[in-house]
Amino acid sequence: MKLFYLIKGKSAWVFTCLLALTLFSIITAMTFGPAQITSLDIARCVISECSTPMHDMVIWQIRIPRVLVGLVAGMGLACAGAILQNVTRNPLADPYLFGIISGAGLGATIATLVLTDEQMLALPLAAFLGALFSVIIVFGIATLLRNMNHLLLTGVAVSFMLGSISHFILYLGDPFATNRVIFWLMGSLTRVEMFHFYLISAMVLITLISIFALHRHIDALLLGDESAASLGVNVDKLRLILLALCAAVTATIVAYCGGIGFVGLMIPHIVRQLVGVTTMPLIIGSALVGGCFLIWVDVIARSALSNVEIPIGIITSAIGSIFFLAIMYRTRKSG
Amino acid sequence: MTQLLTLASVSWSVEKQTILNDISFTLGQGDVIGIIGPNGAGKTSLLKCLLNQTKNWQGTIKLKNKNIRHYKPHELAQTFALVVQKSPPIFELKVYDVVRMGLLPYKSLFASDTDLDKKEIMLALEKVGLSVSQNKFFNTLSGGEQQRVLIAKALVQKAKILVLDEPTNHLDIFYQHQILQLVKALNITVIMTIHDLNLAAQYCTRLLLLNKGKLVSDKNVDKALNPETLSEVFGLPCYRDNVDQLTRTSSEQPTNSNTFARVHFYPKTDVDESTEVQQ
Repeated sequence: MKLFYLIKGKSAWVFTCLLALTLFSIITAMTFGPAQITSLDIARCVISECSTPMHDMVIWQIRIPRVLVGLVAGMGLACAGAILQNVTRNPLADPYLFGIISGAGLGATIATLVLTDEQMLALPLAAFLGALFSVIIVFGIATLLRNMNHLLLTGVAVSFMLGSISHFILYLGDPFATNRVIFWLMGSLTRVEMFHFYLISAMVLITLISIFALHRHIDALLLGDESAASLGVNVDKLRLILLALCAAVTATIVAYCGGIGFVGLMIPHIVRQLVGVTTMPLIIGSALVGGCFLIWVDVIARSALSNVEIPIGIITSAIGSIFFLAIMYRTRKSG
Repeated sequence: MTQLLTLASVSWSVEKQTILNDISFTLGQGDVIGIIGPNGAGKTSLLKCLLNQTKNWQGTIKLKNKNIRHYKPHELAQTFALVVQKSPPIFELKVYDVVRMGLLPYKSLFASDTDLDKKEIMLALEKVGLSVSQNKFFNTLSGGEQQRVLIAKALVQKAKILVLDEPTNHLDIFYQHQILQLVKALNITVIMTIHDLNLAAQYCTRLLLLNKGKLVSDKNVDKALNPETLSEVFGLPCYRDNVDQLTRTSSEQPTNSNTFARVHFYPKTDVDESTEVQQ
């Protein structure tokens, strides 16, 4: 396989380990939860038939969708983060710093006001549109300012603006609506189905294929716009394509899983230490580590407290904020 | 000599401010051209027009008798290689990865590196004397070494014209000569902007003097170093050594550089005072 050459050599064992870890994570994570299910039960269910109808229901409708959605959501967020950091030349870039969570929250908030109970199925769509809306505003303002370095600061400002609108609507509105909207603000894998897995995987696949196609162009950006342009790269067009891809994949994930912050910030930094900074190994590594990371954070989310699930976004944000400070400390030390 | 590149009446204005004004010159195979002039003269802007990296410039630039506007970006990248390092990379890029970027204009989407590509990268690193540093981080190299890595990238790019923007900036005198000697030894066509006039004279075959967006002179090195013109352009009194009276500090005579007379500039205040005294 053509792609394989890129991951041979010194990094080969790293990728072999990561692949093994991912497979191990998928199988093991399915055994965690309130119902006692062993890996043997899962193997039996997948290969032939489940031993009890209860196992059948729990494994196929809860555990498998949840672990698989966790895997692809982690992959998508980590890859989007890696690309954004390269494209914006900012090591602290994360898809969620572009106001996507607050955009999704606002979309969901408005939908709870407008839609009837029967139409609530359209809530993820509203969250998706809200997320896209925030991204468009952020990119629009950054383009007007003609400075991509302002992208992150614009994201923070837009985030506050959309957040305050949501809070205002929720404060005046129906108390039950708050419960529905809080899902998008905190992030959770409790409501996922196999259909979501198919949808998110399709988006992640499109993103990965595009990145593999453009990997040399993305590498060229690492030395600066001027240098990339002299190598024949249409820098503005490339940046727009990549930002749109990141926005689309993140908005799809946020529509079904809510705001799971900091995965895109943390994972690429860890992967760069393992396999280097060029696009191909970085993206393959980020996809694998991101997938594993989210699977295990979800395991913690559902088993840390005995009677209640912790929203997954709370855990990733808690870990992420410490990581964020650590990166700043490291940058300051080396700078 | 075949004309590789022809510029005819190239002008460029941004928001009614003229940056380049009616510039015409030709570049032949093997020329080493230095663009000199004060800050803001339009040296880097001229390079940007050559590489077709800006829009809205007027005039014609022909590369091998074909308008450069009709070239695709990757075709231009196969002809021109830009050696410039203004902002350091934010991540820890390895030297090998930087040189590998030179393959880009020749690769289709999804294409991977072949064994031949890897050999080419190693050969380029060898030519610039950095084959042992292939796994070092680009950021940790000295300014001179970074320039050499970028030249290796240009070699992998198989460019016909090497474009250097201030290649000797921030380098000490040893590295300044090392870089320019390397560039000259490559035996390809070179166009560079350079601040140090004496260094330019030593390594270039022709000098273009720009001032306020206009081409003031386009002459061979000896004629270009005219103290009167330089004095007018740079706004400082200029004096030129007499070539016959040159004394060398080292007994070793330079073998591959031109024998030339250096130009010197003097701070204006001293001259003003001396004129006052004379009066």
